Amino acid sequence: MSVPSDLRLEDVFSGMELSEVVFGPVERADIVRYAGAAGDFNPIHIDDAYAQGAGAPTAFAMGMLPAGYLAHAVSDWFGGPQHLRRFRVRFLTRVWPGDEIVCWGRVDEVEGRFVKVRFEADRRGPGPRELELPEREPALSGDADVEPA
Amino acid sequence: MGVGERAPGSEAEIVFELPVERGKVREFALAVAEDNPIHYYVEEARKRGLPDIVAPPTFTVTQMWQVSREERERRLGANLAYERVLHGEQEFFYQRLPVAGEVLTGRMRIASDISKQGRRGGVMRVVTYESVFTDASGAEVLRALYTLMELPPP
Repeated sequence: MSVPSDLRLEDVFSGMELSEVVFGPVERADIVRYAGAAGDFNPIHIDDAYAQGAGAPTAFAMGMLPAGYLAHAVSDWFGGPQHLRRFRVRFLTRVWPGDEIVCWGRVDEVEGRFVKVRFEADRRGPGPRELELPEREPALSGDADVEPA
Repeated sequence: MGVGERAPGSEAEIVFELPVERGKVREFALAVAEDNPIHYYVEEARKRGLPDIVAPPTFTVTQMWQVSREERERRLGANLAYERVLHGEQEFFYQRLPVAGEVLTGRMRIASDISKQGRRGGVMRVVTYESVFTDASGAEVLRALYTLMELPPP
């Protein structure tokens, strides 16, 4: 969890590292809560038997859940979501119940009033035993344009 | 299949309403672990010059309540094989954040539909849906690009 910084445009420089923000661990209840809030009732995210039928060891999180965490982290880095002008994420791998989501990023460029930033959200945790996943790996990558105060 | 070569009877766009309700905004904010008070408390939002609580940046994904996958498929006719479809990418362009109390109008269309050689052989399809959200005055609030990847058949 974090709070919006009071970062101002004059404080931002290219190459600036943004402080790590950790969410989770993602519990089943978090996945169900997001399903209800977003209207995404794809059973692959909430029903283990269905997920197993589709070749996954268990149900897993919808990508937009960690994407929402990441949008939250980017917003807080730059003073709040009112400063976002563009936000893009690519989904690289699945997020499993029990995973923590580690968000980190870096300023690419400052162009007039706009800041270009790149970021990643890593999943960190054991994952389902069958998959022998690395303890930590990139789950989402993305970039954004922000207009700080 | 390129854009404009949709299934017979398909429509160019789906127009729908997206009500931005305080309760729904708070529920969504909780679901993405938001702790910024501008998503929960009207007074806190007003202190920062906002007319009411605002939706978190990814809130418009709740358009799924208004346009289901089935309806999108039936009306826009992309003919995707959903058992092989992954959400590949998501992008938003903001003029401002949605404000509780307003009703946005969404217009969804297929913005691009390309086929390319998959890394492990076979043809992969990449379909991007664009939803443009406007307010009561007709001004654009934000635009969302939802990109699905259909993997080649096994």
